[in-house]
Amino acid sequence: MAAPLLSATSLTKRFGAVHALRGVSLDLANGEIRAICGENGAGKSTLVKLLMGLYAPDSGTVAIDSAEVRIQGPQHAHRLGLALVAQELSLAPHLSVLDNIWLGSEEVPLFHRRAELRRRAAAALEKLNLDLDLDEPVYRLEVGQRQLVEIARLLTRDARILILDEPTATLSDVEIERLFGVLRSLRAEGRSVIYITHRLGEVFEICDSVTVLRNGEHIATSAVSAITRDTLIGDMLGRAIAEIYPPKRVSVHHGGLMVDSLRIPGAVERLSFEAPRGKITALAGQIGSGTTEVARALAGLVHNATGTVSFGDHPVPLGSAYSSRRAGIMFVSEDRAADGLFHRSVLENLVASDVGRFKHSGLLSWQRMRAGAEKLAELVGVDKGRLGADAFNLSGGNQQKVLFGRVSGAPNPGALIMNEPTRGVDVGARAEIYGLMRDFCRQGYALLMTSSDLEEVVGMADNVITLYRGQMISRYEDEDIDITKILSDITHPLSPAERAA
Amino acid sequence: MSRKALASNQLTAVAWLRLLFVATLAVAVVLTPGFLSAPSLLTLLTTVSFVGCVAVGMTFITLSGNIMSFSLGATVAACAVTFVAVLNAAGPLAGIVAALTVGGLLSGAQGAIIGGLRANPIIVSIAALALIQGGLNFITGNATTNANPGAGHEVLRGKLLGLPIEFVVLLILVVLGQSILTWTTFGRHIYFVGSGVRAAEAVGLRVGWIVTGAYFWAGLFSAVAGVLLGLRYNQANMEYGFGYDYDAIAAILVGGTAIQGGQGSVFRTFAGVIFIATIQVLLLLHGFRQEWQYLIAGIIVLLVVMLQTTGRRHV
Repeated sequence: MAAPLLSATSLTKRFGAVHALRGVSLDLANGEIRAICGENGAGKSTLVKLLMGLYAPDSGTVAIDSAEVRIQGPQHAHRLGLALVAQELSLAPHLSVLDNIWLGSEEVPLFHRRAELRRRAAAALEKLNLDLDLDEPVYRLEVGQRQLVEIARLLTRDARILILDEPTATLSDVEIERLFGVLRSLRAEGRSVIYITHRLGEVFEICDSVTVLRNGEHIATSAVSAITRDTLIGDMLGRAIAEIYPPKRVSVHHGGLMVDSLRIPGAVERLSFEAPRGKITALAGQIGSGTTEVARALAGLVHNATGTVSFGDHPVPLGSAYSSRRAGIMFVSEDRAADGLFHRSVLENLVASDVGRFKHSGLLSWQRMRAGAEKLAELVGVDKGRLGADAFNLSGGNQQKVLFGRVSGAPNPGALIMNEPTRGVDVGARAEIYGLMRDFCRQGYALLMTSSDLEEVVGMADNVITLYRGQMISRYEDEDIDITKILSDITHPLSPAERAA
Repeated sequence: MSRKALASNQLTAVAWLRLLFVATLAVAVVLTPGFLSAPSLLTLLTTVSFVGCVAVGMTFITLSGNIMSFSLGATVAACAVTFVAVLNAAGPLAGIVAALTVGGLLSGAQGAIIGGLRANPIIVSIAALALIQGGLNFITGNATTNANPGAGHEVLRGKLLGLPIEFVVLLILVVLGQSILTWTTFGRHIYFVGSGVRAAEAVGLRVGWIVTGAYFWAGLFSAVAGVLLGLRYNQANMEYGFGYDYDAIAAILVGGTAIQGGQGSVFRTFAGVIFIATIQVLLLLHGFRQEWQYLIAGIIVLLVVMLQTTGRRHV
């Protein structure tokens, strides 16, 4: 076997007392796509940052082409042939697509060779089949398109080792297919890819081999052909899970969330549907289909939404989160950092939606707040010992559980609206969150979720509504829910005539 | 060691630095002749009280995520003038009520614009500063309003329990302010809005009202400073309260309240007020002139902000 292109040996990194990585080794061959899997906190991001020179390892070495290197920082990593698409977007919103693609490059794009740089940027976009104006400022693009611009930036760097950290989280299925096509052609050119993902399906679709990390340690590296989904999950968790989705046991309740002729300028036209109590209704659609906007509008967060919405016979005025909340509609955002969590303790985050409940003779009682928060923490499976910690220091899964705990405290079951309920959440916590969602159903909540993970839609939903470019395509119930029908609806909807035939 | 132990290690570094600061100051205080004499201390306590009231109010604004207001000093002047004018016409109680009303409205209106329209708090407060000063100039003609002798306000002067009455009022405001923040729903909401305004909106908090409320209280507390000034000097003019906004934000930052909002307390602000005032008096007693006091205050604020930012980067 030829010498590996990249060889990391016994990398160790500590942050104070925390071992982020313990003696992790990794060999990457030319033309190999290597998946790195692991739960949140397993050490994936630390590994990436060591390879890009953002951190220096405490011990261990990195060699490229069998020559040992000390990577000093991102620019140095670029010169060594490494390039990264990070999990967080790193685009300058007010610069054009072209400028963003060349941002941070050492090829000095200021005045000369502008035409040449234009041509190469256009070629990169072309590879991704992305039809964009190079002079368009990035803030006008959708999230998925921005992610693709980052990938285009990576393609222009002529890197030998490409690192992609959760590149598909914001991409639609069609865009993911294009990305995979590009990765395959890069592999054919002999370039290597390190591909970090939570989506196990992608491991089997695009990767040659997979390395599993757990608690900062290397657990296993195997060829994808030699493993199954179950062994992979078992490696990641350290235990096998029988079934991640709880059984669908529909509880019968009356009424629900009724949406009539919902219109959101630029996103959705005249959408009508119903999310009954005791059931999980899923809005399935790709990015740009309008699902996210519908969820936000029902939560009162879209100011120019119009239509008739009622919940349990009470009308819900649109455009005010306060009114939606009063009507019993609660929202769990997918963007926990931006509009989910407060930079306060876990305790306060848990009781935030209604602190006024915890009063004693007119004043807030911290004793009652703590007791209430402990109850909620127990309910959703958050360690009670961490009630005093800043919520931002929890893992993604625990953060999401805190948000679920926050909406659990209501005296009467309401409507729960969730955008991508398990984005950035590891496999173990996902199973717990799915269990919580079923608990909500039993209590008589009406659940409405958007999800771009079709497996999740099929695994969880009792009703599925498919959207394509702001139009409702169809509605499926119970046994009719079928992944291929949904996929066809949200990517290539049939016209009503075709459907009839 | 756990992650918690790690955090407390970092905390100790900052805590040590604080302790060092305070210890140096204590030594300087003891070694400075004249500092620990009763008249000197009483003067110190009286002077900090005016800025202290404004700082307590400003803390509400900072905690709500709106950085600071540049108009609270002018609000103090407006309230002082209002107090003296109404005092002359209708007695001290009416004067106090009028001053509080003016302060609450002036600041609350800015809060409504900032919270309701999501306008930039700095710009709104600068505009308000110009409006208040212009309005005052128009009304008073830049003249000093004097309190009539025997208007009934002399009874509010002097000492209480051996402390200047201004300082007693400040202590009451500190306790009141922190109680509002800790033990009322509104107070918690200020922290929530300050530590994540979009999250606050998403859980259905009425952000506009909460921000208006924070500014309203800031105005009330500043009005108290105006009343105290009017009482103390028996007069009021539009120069009163000049620079108080700056001293207040300096005290807030030195106390350790986060400039981006959501973290901090009125008690911290109080500690900051005392700290800065002590340094200023020390400088004065050592014969440094006023410009030195400004310079030193500026340097302290810069140091604190740099310390806060580097601390955050390491975490």
